[in-house]
Amino acid sequence: MTIREQNPEPNNPLGIDGIEFIEYATSQPQAFGSVLQSMGFIPIARHRSREVMLYRQGPMNLIVNAHPDALPRMSAPTETPELKAIALRVRDAAFAWRHSLDLGAWEMPTRASAMELNIPGIHGVGGSLIYFVDRYKDFSIYDVDFVPLPGSEARPLALAGLHYFGVVQTIRSDRTDDWREFYEQLFGFTVLPEGKFFGILPKGTLLESPCRKFYLQLIEPPPGSDDIVWDEGLLRIGLGAPDVRAAVRILKERGVVFIDRGAVQPSEKGALTQVYLGGVTFELVKSHLQP
Amino acid sequence: MNIENFGMDTITLAGPLEAKLRAVREGGFTQVMLSARDLVEHPQGEAAAIAAVRQSGLRVTGFQVLRDFEGLPGHLHAYKLDIAKAMLAMCGALGSEVLLVCSSTSTHASGDAEVLSRDLRKLATLAVPLGIRVAYEALSWGKHVSEFPKAWEIVAGADRANLGLALDSFHMLAARTGLDELDLVDPKKVFIVQLADFMWRELPSLEERINAARHFRVFPGEGVHGPEVAGLVRRLDDMGYRGDYSFEVFNDDFVQLPAHVVAARARQSVKWLTDQVSRRSLPIRKDRPRAKQSG
Repeated sequence: MTIREQNPEPNNPLGIDGIEFIEYATSQPQAFGSVLQSMGFIPIARHRSREVMLYRQGPMNLIVNAHPDALPRMSAPTETPELKAIALRVRDAAFAWRHSLDLGAWEMPTRASAMELNIPGIHGVGGSLIYFVDRYKDFSIYDVDFVPLPGSEARPLALAGLHYFGVVQTIRSDRTDDWREFYEQLFGFTVLPEGKFFGILPKGTLLESPCRKFYLQLIEPPPGSDDIVWDEGLLRIGLGAPDVRAAVRILKERGVVFIDRGAVQPSEKGALTQVYLGGVTFELVKSHLQP
Repeated sequence: MNIENFGMDTITLAGPLEAKLRAVREGGFTQVMLSARDLVEHPQGEAAAIAAVRQSGLRVTGFQVLRDFEGLPGHLHAYKLDIAKAMLAMCGALGSEVLLVCSSTSTHASGDAEVLSRDLRKLATLAVPLGIRVAYEALSWGKHVSEFPKAWEIVAGADRANLGLALDSFHMLAARTGLDELDLVDPKKVFIVQLADFMWRELPSLEERINAARHFRVFPGEGVHGPEVAGLVRRLDDMGYRGDYSFEVFNDDFVQLPAHVVAARARQSVKWLTDQVSRRSLPIRKDRPRAKQSG
């Protein structure tokens, strides 16, 4: 069977359909959990065999992995939560994985235990992973591997209509083209025209997913920053809100602190939270997306 | 143009890795080209070799060499892909930003330019997460790609930002490739230039090329093609090439001399080349602005 036969959409070869979940790794899951709860995420289920918790808010699934070997071949999680994986909804996960490997992706070793789902994945930037998930409609991956927390609401509503808007990725100098081509070739992302930005941190290069449901932002180190440590990796998630000011107000009432100085202050376009637990921030972005 | 533009290659030197690195550094060089064997043959293992390189303070010009990669069918491709991944992993662990790939000599390899471009594109994609650029070199005895214009056609066809050319003066001289075709090459897509000369005017047969390439190369200024080598460097400089030059000198005599003696010859070669080239005023070299890898 050729790729073409299986994929009638030339611009979306994997049938990407949004973000299924975002995964953080940390050795301090309780501390991070309370930050997430102030951001409106509710813990709803626990993994059957690992120290892994599923949080949910409206359409967003967020996984906190505190397992000692949180991710294959990687070091134990650090105290500061690290953004470690993006799971993409795709038409056929096995096909998406095979297709990616054929084009030059690195295979991620499986980590499923007996009776657990094997979620195929590839290596992304830094130590991060990209998973492919095709069970997200009638049946979900969480039905197999997770046990619901007693008394928890399975589908908690989102605060202020929050939804995944995108992920910010740091890259080293002169690497924008390398990474742009990586996402173009493997997944069919496209670059937004220069000058088209969302939020209050307009810099770098914005890539739009082929499903047009989320964005990746590539950021090289700012000029004159030779003395700062600038590793490649996933930096933070952006949460879309139809009304950013309303979202900021609601989150502030829950104790979330937003940066309010210089160019970075909450506005109708966007807002940035303070740094939590030594390295985690969340960005709010005025969003046109329909989750 | 000065010694900062030039590096030595460990294949030119005798002795353990640490002694080679010391000779290169004490020879006044700031960069070194490494081979996979420098890592895997280290008596204390790869990690110790990598630590020695980091401790030397020398910048790694590049890591060599992936052979016979492109154009293979089916199971041969799958096998070679595993080799390529292992080479990339070593290159990344070493902190080298450039992996050298030389054109295939395999009789099993396709000559179809699209197939060759496709395979190199795949290799370039594999190299992206590791921060590595892939430099493709035309071996003068390559099966289908034996001169740089053909290598450039394959690289341009692949059209990946982190895939470019490695130019090697030995192969250009051996194949008598004209320099005019350099005008077709984007200087930003030349990732590394390797320099060497040899002692014979002509190398008409492939066997002679292979023999001279592996045993009888000399430093620029020591062979019979001095003006051509200097002309190549001048031409590249005129084009706007500001990347690294590495002396890739395979020589059976040099590997039975003390490393510092050979490093002194390399140093002399830098002087000879810069004298030849920089009689005209040359702009100060600017490093490609890539951040250093941390850790």
